[in-house]
Amino acid sequence: MPVISVKNLKKYYKVHQKEPGLSGSIRSLFHRKYYDVKAVDDVSFEIREGELIGFIGPNGAGKTTTLKVLSGLLYPTSGHVSVLGFTPWDRKPAFQKQFSLVMGQKNQLWWDLPAIESFILNKEIYEVSNDQYKKTLDELVKLLEVEDVLKVQVRKLSLGQRMKMELIAALIHSPKILFLDEPTIGLDVVMQKKMRDFIKEYNRRYKSTIILTSHYMDDVKELCDRVVIIDKGKLLFDGKLEQIINKFASHKLITAVFSKPVKKTDLKQIGDVKEFDFPKAVISVKRATASLAAAELLQNFPVADLNIEEPQIEDIIREVFTGKDLA
Amino acid sequence: MRKYLTVFAIDWQNQFIYRLNFIFWRVRNVFRLLLTYFLWLGVFTSTESVFGYSQSQMFSYVFLVMIVHAIVLSAPSSDNIGGEIGSGDLSNYLVKPVSYIKYWFARDLSSKLLNLLFSIGEIFLLYYLLQPVLVIFPESFQVIPFLITLVLVVPLYYFINLSTRFISFWTPENTWGLAFLIIIFYETLGGIIFPLDVLPVWAKTAVQFTPFPYLVYYPVVILLGKVSGFEFYRILAQTFIWTVVMFIIARFIWQKGLKVYSSEGR
Repeated sequence: MPVISVKNLKKYYKVHQKEPGLSGSIRSLFHRKYYDVKAVDDVSFEIREGELIGFIGPNGAGKTTTLKVLSGLLYPTSGHVSVLGFTPWDRKPAFQKQFSLVMGQKNQLWWDLPAIESFILNKEIYEVSNDQYKKTLDELVKLLEVEDVLKVQVRKLSLGQRMKMELIAALIHSPKILFLDEPTIGLDVVMQKKMRDFIKEYNRRYKSTIILTSHYMDDVKELCDRVVIIDKGKLLFDGKLEQIINKFASHKLITAVFSKPVKKTDLKQIGDVKEFDFPKAVISVKRATASLAAAELLQNFPVADLNIEEPQIEDIIREVFTGKDLA
Repeated sequence: MRKYLTVFAIDWQNQFIYRLNFIFWRVRNVFRLLLTYFLWLGVFTSTESVFGYSQSQMFSYVFLVMIVHAIVLSAPSSDNIGGEIGSGDLSNYLVKPVSYIKYWFARDLSSKLLNLLFSIGEIFLLYYLLQPVLVIFPESFQVIPFLITLVLVVPLYYFINLSTRFISFWTPENTWGLAFLIIIFYETLGGIIFPLDVLPVWAKTAVQFTPFPYLVYYPVVILLGKVSGFEFYRILAQTFIWTVVMFIIARFIWQKGLKVYSSEGR
């Protein structure tokens, strides 16, 4: 039984177009041309309890829109959505008490007060008992190592500390489902890593279902078994991260180190020369004929060292989004 | 209920952060009192009674406006609503089991309490400095009717304020123009700068058909005992009707606005 089920979800925005300049403004008062922006266009997926899923896609792909529909902030244009058996946009308190939405670019903490005040407010809003609150807060504070800054004004905190506090505020009511929209945005590498460790640990410990969107492949690579790739509102891929390679990567990369000088033009017979800087060359070849190409290379060239690799997931995804072939 | 008490408490703490802002807001109120006080002082040098007010009644009016103003038209805390809608911070509340309208009402009440405490202090100070002749506790002093109207008028002000702020759903961050216009109505039609008895009869009658005089003017004249029995019930009924009407309008705009907000998504 999936906790989240999305069937044929569509979300179109009506946007009006304005011609540039003053005359365009005046004309748009009387006659407006509307067109649809397809933020989410016929997307379906199901998520089971305890899964940690990564949504990836470029800016404007529809990731955040999907999260907003799932958390009841947006009405869909069409389609069927069920989260924990509820229709999100009914915004029933019984539903709202069971999930949390964290947006990396928005803060819910009271800016001028210590974060602990916002936690107390959320405790009351979500009607968490005193014992439960103390227990949850203790655990989260220890996990995130923020004991010493709990009583510092939020405005005085660093971005990383503030993000940690945002997470605590969102987790005070122990939500079953957690939507994280760009939780590591703007953080330095060390802090990103800490956030990731926390998310992973939280998922493991509390068996909560987590959907995470991110621009950073590292987030997804390290955290998520399953990824959903969205671009231009369409679902391009839904499955295990490793399967992306099988599905999208049509080529492999051969890295060769030569003992004697070779000509670049000669190497072109083998495949597409991506890099050539003697003694090293990187050649892209079709997956099916990779071993054949390697044998040919060994036979006809003075090869000192040879390595066959899969392309980086980042590269594959980038090329999927830009619509370019890998070769 | 407990949630909103916590909102009240947290807002109370938050107010002490913006001390300077608050002090300027209070100074503005003190200046308004001084302005009207000296104006009427000038008028009463040549006459004993103006527009049906004796000098002591008029000074009492000026001082009472300060208190009623603090209770009814609180410091501008709920004015942030427009900004929250425009910036999309409203989303923070919409995903939680909390009512946005009650949330801001709790914050408004907290702001009112702080303003009330300060205005009482200021009134004692000004009374000591100016030594005006006031009507203190005359026989006709109507405390109970006054309190009854206040209970209705506080939410009435809030619903008017909400209705104007909710326009932000359609014109993000752009409700200041309308807000300023409404502030002028409060100050003039509401009887804050002068009692409405100054107006010609036809104008005063016309103003009665707007919600503004019920906010400050009528509570003050009721307390001063200038309202007869039948007139009081008319005022009470009209205040009640306005409160209900503005509540319905505010709710209607909120629900319409939420549809717009939720279909655009910020």
